[in-house]
Parts: sequence; structure tokens; C-alpha cells
Amino acid sequence: MANLPALQRALAGLILAPDEAGFAGDPEGFAAAFGLPPRDQAAFRRGLAGFQAYRELARMGLQEPVEDMFPVTMALLGEAGAWEDCVNAFLGARCLTSPHYRDIAPTFLGWLADTGWGQDRWPWLVELAHFELLETLVGRFPESPAPAGLAWVPSPEARIVLAPATQVVAYGHAVHRATEADPVPAAVPTFLLAYRDPEAGFHLMALTGALAALLGRAQAAPIARAAQELGLEDLGEVWPLLGELRAKGAIAGFAEGI
Amino acid sequence: MGPEAFAGVGLGLRRVHLEQVAGHAGHGVPFWETCPENVIGDGGRHHRHACAILDRDPVLTHGLSLSLGGLDPWDGDYLHDLGRFLVRTGTPWHSEHLCFTRVDGSSLHELLPMPFTREAARHTVARARDLQARLPVPLILENITYYAELGHAEMDEAAFITEVLEGADTGWLLDVNNVYVNALNFGFDPRAWLARMPLHRVVQMHIAGHKRFGDLTVDTHGADVIDPVIELMQWVLRRLGRPVPVLLERDNHIPDLEDLLAERARLQEAYDEVLAVPVGSADHG
Repeated sequence: MANLPALQRALAGLILAPDEAGFAGDPEGFAAAFGLPPRDQAAFRRGLAGFQAYRELARMGLQEPVEDMFPVTMALLGEAGAWEDCVNAFLGARCLTSPHYRDIAPTFLGWLADTGWGQDRWPWLVELAHFELLETLVGRFPESPAPAGLAWVPSPEARIVLAPATQVVAYGHAVHRATEADPVPAAVPTFLLAYRDPEAGFHLMALTGALAALLGRAQAAPIARAAQELGLEDLGEVWPLLGELRAKGAIAGFAEGI
Repeated sequence: MGPEAFAGVGLGLRRVHLEQVAGHAGHGVPFWETCPENVIGDGGRHHRHACAILDRDPVLTHGLSLSLGGLDPWDGDYLHDLGRFLVRTGTPWHSEHLCFTRVDGSSLHELLPMPFTREAARHTVARARDLQARLPVPLILENITYYAELGHAEMDEAAFITEVLEGADTGWLLDVNNVYVNALNFGFDPRAWLARMPLHRVVQMHIAGHKRFGDLTVDTHGADVIDPVIELMQWVLRRLGRPVPVLLERDNHIPDLEDLLAERARLQEAYDEVLAVPVGSADHG
């Protein structure tokens, strides 16, 4: 196989490079850098406008789902003139591997978290982006059957079993209050329960730190023991709330005797 | 559902219309086309609507991301899920694009052109045959728009497509808008181009709108279909002398469902106009 791999790498390189890597000024040189012979180099010169269109169209297609999903993050970075740098770094990292177009936005979040990009200046960046994606993460969580044999009424010896799509999230900043007009979140510990109801509608509920901790720990230990370990003495208001969350679909049920 | 059940002008199933379509069984659309990538592994409200439609209405499947002409290995997990999905929908065939979309593990989510070389044709034939062996339904291939020739061409696009279709022995999803757009960008006569092609392999057609940007016409799927493209569809149908399903694609500036249904009805009229004429008496010019 002579030139096919190099030709495909050259076009991918043109699309994903942070800048055109000198393509417009020297298309032959660009192609030569991928090991392509003169007759293929000449084709890059002949098709200059078409190749530039590919770069623009493909980057637009990759950037659009990120901009649609993260408008507040974009506003924050845009104010500082850093949004294009961020997107360029993301695309240049070549971490988009999924065949699903809907995975582009989650991949962006994963890239932000893995690389720490921009977090020296905006320590809450990942939290902000995570919150912007939260509705989609929960709302489009793949369908899965509820575990069998769960009780519908909570009891001290039962564990909490969250519905598969439900997420309990803790942020150091009030990212849920950030807006495109005011994208800098206040440094306030924030606990949220994100879930979808039986009709797949998305809901968000603010939690106290204590309740968030209980919802976390009582998935692995009986509710009463989890509360004791957390120093929660009065569960009087918790029992009806747990029942309500089960009825709303946030909690799948309660596992007893395990 | 057998291939004979698919005729007339269908619509691409789009997320913004799912709820409305799911709740309206009398929509009059003879079939839908869905992209498995948009359904497999998804969940939630829209997914439920999509599944309700797929379980109720005739559906054809159209892939975006297998990177037929690429060099990366197949995504085995995805192919497994795809096979199950194709069986579930009852689609009589599955279409993919004659292009590459992945390079060295990166998904580019763009239909990128194959070099028109003997090497690329041989490679694509081998990949198509290998892919066919892994799918539970026949694979058909779609011609794409291209905006530049990737490397030195040893043949033209028509010869390349023919070599792949014949070599892989697959059906053809003929996108007449893509032919029209390529004809505009590269200055050839679309009818003369089509007359060279193995039209007996056509099992489905695509039709869509496009837009001019400076010197380049782009296959945007974002506008109404223009008359010359409809006439090209009719020209092909006359040549074929048999009904093949035609799918109206709309991916950008997606109108309300009512407007899209009206656009479909306009195309259906043009479709019926041709097939109402007995084969042999039509203009084959």
C-alpha cells in the first residue's frame, strides 16, 4: 500500500492541526511533510480551495456540538479570548475516537479533566463544564432495566439503590447559577441530585451536604449505619424524602437484607 | 420487511421531529431512514420516541462512521451493536458512504474523499467485502460529494465508484444531489456522468439541497431541493424503469415537520409522474 495511508494522514492532519501548518502558503511542502511524492503534492496545490473547505467544514462539525453544549464555558473563556485556543487544543489532542457524534461533548469534558487545560486560571472550569453537560448525561443515559426485588419503602436496614441515570454531584462552586452573562461561579459548596422521572423528564434538586453524603454512603451500607457513620442523628425528615425520591424516579428502590 | 416494500419518497428521521412523528402514525411517509450511530447506545425521552417509530414504521438504515475506505480496524463492539440494530429494524439493506472518516484512531465525523487510485479502489473493495461478511443484511454504498481530489488521480470519480461497486459486488445508493454538486464543482455533465455508471446496481437514491459558497457548492442538506436535482432524480428513474426508494435528506435548517412533509409530497409527485409513464415511452435522453 503506497500512498493511501499518507494521503489520509495528510488530510486528517490538515483538519486537526491548530493552524493550517503553512498549508495555504506551501501546499506542496505540507504534503511533502507526510512523505507524499511530487505528483500527490501537486494535487494539494490544485485542490487548495477544496482542502481548505474540508478543514473549515470538518472543524465546524466538530466544534458545533461543543459550543452548543457548553455556552457558559464558552462565554467564560470567550471573555478572556481563550475559547479558540481551547478548542484548537482539544481538536489537536486527537482524542475523538467514538463513532457517535453525541460523544463529542462528553469527550471535550473528559479532555478538560484529563489535561487540566485552563485550570490554573479557572480552577472551576471542569465543574462548570460538567454541570453544563449534566442534563445530557442524565437525560440520555442508556435505558436499562431496574434491579429486581427492591423495596419501595425505605427502612433502616436497607441500602439505597439509585436509578441508573441518577447522579449525585458535588461542586466547590455554584456552577448551576452561572450564566452566559455572568459565567464566574461563586465559591460555594454545591450539592445536586440530577435524575429523570418515569417519563424521562430531567430534574435537578439542590441537596444539603449531609443528604448528599447520605445518598452516597447509603448505597454501600444500610441507611441507619450510614447515617451513624456520618454523624446524622435525626432522620425524621429523611424517610419521607427518600420515599418521594423513589416515587419520582431518582431512587430505583431499597435493597434489604444484603 | 422485504426490499419490495420500499418505494416512493421517504424522510430522514431527525431528533427534532421524533416526538411528533411518534405520536402521529398517519404521517403518510412510506418509510424513514435512520442513522444507527444516533440510536445505538442512546437513552432518554427522544430515544424512546425513536424506538417507538422504528418498531412501528418501515425503516432503512444509513451509516455515517464505519470509515469504509479507512485503514483503522473495525470497531468490533460497534459492529456487534450495529448488527443487532439492523436485525431489530428489519431494514432490507444497510448503506454506508464511499469515503473515510477515521484516521489513526481519530473520528473526524466528516465524509472524506478517497483517492481515485487503483490502490484505493482495491483497498475499498476488500474492506467492503470484509464489512459485508460481518453484517446481517446486504451492504450498499453511497457516492459522496468531494471538494478536492486527494492526491494524484489515476482514474476519474465515475471509474473509481464503478470499480468499487463491481469489485465488491454491492448495491448502489445513488445520491443525485451529490452527483449534481460534483458536476458543478468539477464542471461535468451529470447526465453524461450517470450514463457511464452501473445503474443496474442502484437500489436506493438520496436527494437533498445544497448551497453555493463563493466558487464552491457544498452539500449542506440545509435547503429545499432545486428543480434541476429533481429532474436528475426523474431522469434516473426513467432510465431504471423501476421504483427504487428515494430518501429526502435534511440535516441543517431543519424546517417544521409540516413543511418537510410538504417538501416530501412535492418530490413524491415528481416521482409518481415518472413511474406513471410506461417504461419505454419515457424520454431517455
